[in-house]
Amino acid sequence: MSILLRNVAKAFGDPPLPVLQDISLEIGDGEFVALTGRSGSGKSTLLYILSTLDRPSGGEVLLSGHQVAALSPLDLHRFRNEQMGFVFQFHFLLPELSALDNVLMPARKTRQERARRSLALELLTQFGLGDKLASLPRQLSGGEAQRVAIARALVMQPRYVFADEPTGNLDSANGELVLNIFRETNRTRRTTIVMVTHDADFAAMAGRQVVLRDGRILGESQASA
Amino acid sequence: MFYLAIRHLLARKRQTLLTLIGILFGSMAYVVISGFMLGFQEYLIDQLINNDAHIRVRAKEEYLHEHTLDREFFGAAAHVFWISPPGGRKDNARIEDPQGWYRRLRTDPRVEAYSPQLIAQVIITRAKATVSARLIGSEPARQVRVTNISAFMTEGKFTDISAGGNRILLGAELLAKLGARVSETVLLSNGRSTPVPFKIVGAFKTGIRTVDEATAFGALADAQRINATPSQVNELAIRLYDVESAASLAAEWRGFSEEKIQSWDEINANFLNVFTIQNVVRYMMVAVILIVAGFGIYNILNMVVTQKRRDIAILRSMGYTTWDVMYLFLVQGLILGSAGAAIGVIGGYWICRYLETVPFGGSPLGAGAGHMTISYRASIYVYAAALAVGCSALASLLPARSAGRMQPIEIIRAGAE
Repeated sequence: MSILLRNVAKAFGDPPLPVLQDISLEIGDGEFVALTGRSGSGKSTLLYILSTLDRPSGGEVLLSGHQVAALSPLDLHRFRNEQMGFVFQFHFLLPELSALDNVLMPARKTRQERARRSLALELLTQFGLGDKLASLPRQLSGGEAQRVAIARALVMQPRYVFADEPTGNLDSANGELVLNIFRETNRTRRTTIVMVTHDADFAAMAGRQVVLRDGRILGESQASA
Repeated sequence: MFYLAIRHLLARKRQTLLTLIGILFGSMAYVVISGFMLGFQEYLIDQLINNDAHIRVRAKEEYLHEHTLDREFFGAAAHVFWISPPGGRKDNARIEDPQGWYRRLRTDPRVEAYSPQLIAQVIITRAKATVSARLIGSEPARQVRVTNISAFMTEGKFTDISAGGNRILLGAELLAKLGARVSETVLLSNGRSTPVPFKIVGAFKTGIRTVDEATAFGALADAQRINATPSQVNELAIRLYDVESAASLAAEWRGFSEEKIQSWDEINANFLNVFTIQNVVRYMMVAVILIVAGFGIYNILNMVVTQKRRDIAILRSMGYTTWDVMYLFLVQGLILGSAGAAIGVIGGYWICRYLETVPFGGSPLGAGAGHMTISYRASIYVYAAALAVGCSALASLLPARSAGRMQPIEIIRAGAE
């Protein structure tokens, strides 16, 4: 009951071109959900609506029981800071800051950079980046940068992690590494993870797959693992 | 955010340095130009105030015109048409009722000192040299309290003219024109009378050529005798406690007196007008420099905001607010502005200190300072800093606002496509 979508629709442009239609979805606490579908199926749009970055044109989104549309901008920002982590296709690391400082950026918002430092170090070490703490993003490989970005998404110990094609720019070895991190996080910390991917192998590693087509939910499948 | 702002600035050192230099030059230019111009103005005003009387009361020179004499000759009711209308001027301009003035000035608490004067045109002769000059007759003890003349004496003392009769002081240039020396005797005449011998007891040099080559000081009684106007005065020089009140006091006196009354700032109105123009020019120059520097900040920040779209998106998704993002860019402008202002003001101060040592020949009003006079008024420095910081704040506000308005989803969507 942690994320609940009721009849969500989204249209872009004028005249409105529907991208999502009549989506009702419930994602429970501690689930690992993969949103899949062809490009243009609306899976990314759905993710951004789930994660409050975008607003639906119709229907409602409830996050931890809160109406997202009714939250004040300040509450919304606090919510994002404390309870959500984002991972995008591009790592979006701040080029001026070292890996460690990048990971601590969300903590700086609430002046917790000291308190979160040990967790950041732990995450980076766990992701095999213990020797790259002071490296700038341009000195990291694509896979390393993406792992730093994941550490950044996890440093506030969020309830939800939203990932948009996190493996899109990675080779399969690095992609697998990222997926394993997600699985591990989902298992040990009970973090809800919603991931968009068009890679069937990676989607299969998630606990639950939601398949979209032309803006509608085509079907679901529950993984055996 | 402040931390990230510093990192942003350090990441583009060249741009930061260049913008900084722009602002630095702006505030430095303001400090130097203002210090120089205001120093000059303060010096001039100081000279005007200290060397001369604050208010001058002058006898009106009355000219006759067609109907001036109608009433005296024909009564008030008559209409008169002259075949040959009367003209010319009244015999001697003099202050009517000087005793009344003395009484008024003695009792007025705003007046520090006053000195009645008789100013007469005289012809000074020594051997074959003849020079015409203004003889200013005064009571020396009073005169030195009203003007600074005793500071300009090169030989003798100003009060020497009071000892005995027929003693004068001459301007240095006048002395040279006559080929005379102090302690020699010259002949004075008003042009109609028989020349009277006067002993030169001293010389002065104010630095103003027109004064030094045509002015002589004598005792009031001597001047009255030479001018054949016993016990008359035609000018009162007045010194006030508060210089600023001169204009209003002069206006007050004008209300009830026949005489021509002018305060020091009215007498020197042309000087003061030049100051106003100078100030306008000064503000314009600095405004131009700061606008250029401001555009520098604006351009660079605008570019940076565009370059940093992705950073903005990720910051917003982390929970940073619109205001946080605005602050990130605003603070960069402010850091540049305050750092530039600080360095500029300090640099300007040292340039001023240097300028002060530059020799500056013969000051316009004499008593030459001998070097540039620079003003170190605190207001200059406050204005310079405020202008620089204000300009950079304004210049960074627009890019910061546009950064704050960016929606993360639009940037991410645009990035993904």
